[in-house]
Amino acid sequence: MVNVVKNDDFSAAKKAAVAVVDFSATWCGPCRMTAPVLEKVSEKMAGRVEFYNVDVDDNGELANQFHITNIPCLVLLKNGVEVSRSVGFQPEPNLTSWIESNL
Amino acid sequence: MDRFDIAIIGTGPAGLEAAITASIRNKKILLLGSKNLSDKVEKGHLIRNYLGLPDISGTDLSKRFNEHLDSFGIDITEDRITAVYSMGDYFSLQGSSGSFYESETVIIATGVMTGKVLDGESEYLGNGVSYCATCDAPLYRKKAVAVICYSKHEESEADFLSEIAGSVDFFPMFKEDSNVNDSVKVVSKHPVSIKRDNFKTIVTTSEGNTYSYDGVFVLRDSIAPSNLVPGLLTEGAHIVCDRNMKTNIDGCFACGDITGLPYQYIKSAGEGNIAALSACAYIDSKKRNSKQ
Repeated sequence: MVNVVKNDDFSAAKKAAVAVVDFSATWCGPCRMTAPVLEKVSEKMAGRVEFYNVDVDDNGELANQFHITNIPCLVLLKNGVEVSRSVGFQPEPNLTSWIESNL
Repeated sequence: MDRFDIAIIGTGPAGLEAAITASIRNKKILLLGSKNLSDKVEKGHLIRNYLGLPDISGTDLSKRFNEHLDSFGIDITEDRITAVYSMGDYFSLQGSSGSFYESETVIIATGVMTGKVLDGESEYLGNGVSYCATCDAPLYRKKAVAVICYSKHEESEADFLSEIAGSVDFFPMFKEDSNVNDSVKVVSKHPVSIKRDNFKTIVTTSEGNTYSYDGVFVLRDSIAPSNLVPGLLTEGAHIVCDRNMKTNIDGCFACGDITGLPYQYIKSAGEGNIAALSACAYIDSKKRNSKQ
């Protein structure tokens, strides 16, 4: 499951041991394509990695804080600290191996 | 959304042959490219080794291709594909018109990209560099952008950007005169590299001058294959594929100049035939598996 972040409230993602945060927007093509792939990956990694979605239009403060200039931007956090980020669409096998390589 | 069996990107000999073969196999196809087919064919002086058509000019060969397409009732959709997303069991294709298409399989027959990518272009794609104005313009509302444009066909994208961005600088890289609206500033210099610094995208020209923007759009007729299809395995300017024209992504095939040398019309057509048959076999085996 991908949790939706609202009102710039990032507290849950920060508490997670490992979180993948998808910064995206409804009008962005590659973001819309990333969403179903991320959903699939989140089911397969349930219990190990938490997944969050941040709409950059609704959560401008968070997007600024993370210096998001292009979307979709996936940020991988370990105990609230960014360890890696990936910009643009990735097919499922690539996305999975990017996350696995950072665990 | 209507899902096609085979989406074919490119209207040179490889793409056209793939379309004809797939039509014979009764597949539902989407052929994307130009109604003028291929500049590379059109400009060919004299082709001497195309089987059955000795000593034919490029213009005449192009005419014959068109007649062949017409005899099968094959239509060409004129939309420049800026990205192909592998969704697992199907592909989603994004056009510069803003349209999306869905297909079970994809055949890449875009031809080899002529001209080098700019230094830093691939590195910063998706990070201050974009290939699609329609897709990414909203990110640059009221901000400063540049358009580096290699194709006269694409210059209307600069006009579109000028309605959203704060300012648009336009670097024309084509020979014809540029014709953009008054709010777009034409800069007749040659960019050679792009880099990102402090959340700005910096363009350096051949004279060594630098220009700073929030984002840069690079518009070409064809896009480097690794950028066109995220996750696709490439080697230099070419797509890595086996002799069935299969790439590293299931359901994605490649044919023609994009797979490597020799750049010959007849080789491209032959590969188009193989790619289409491989795509048909892939679709049929998927159908069989889903029935089991």
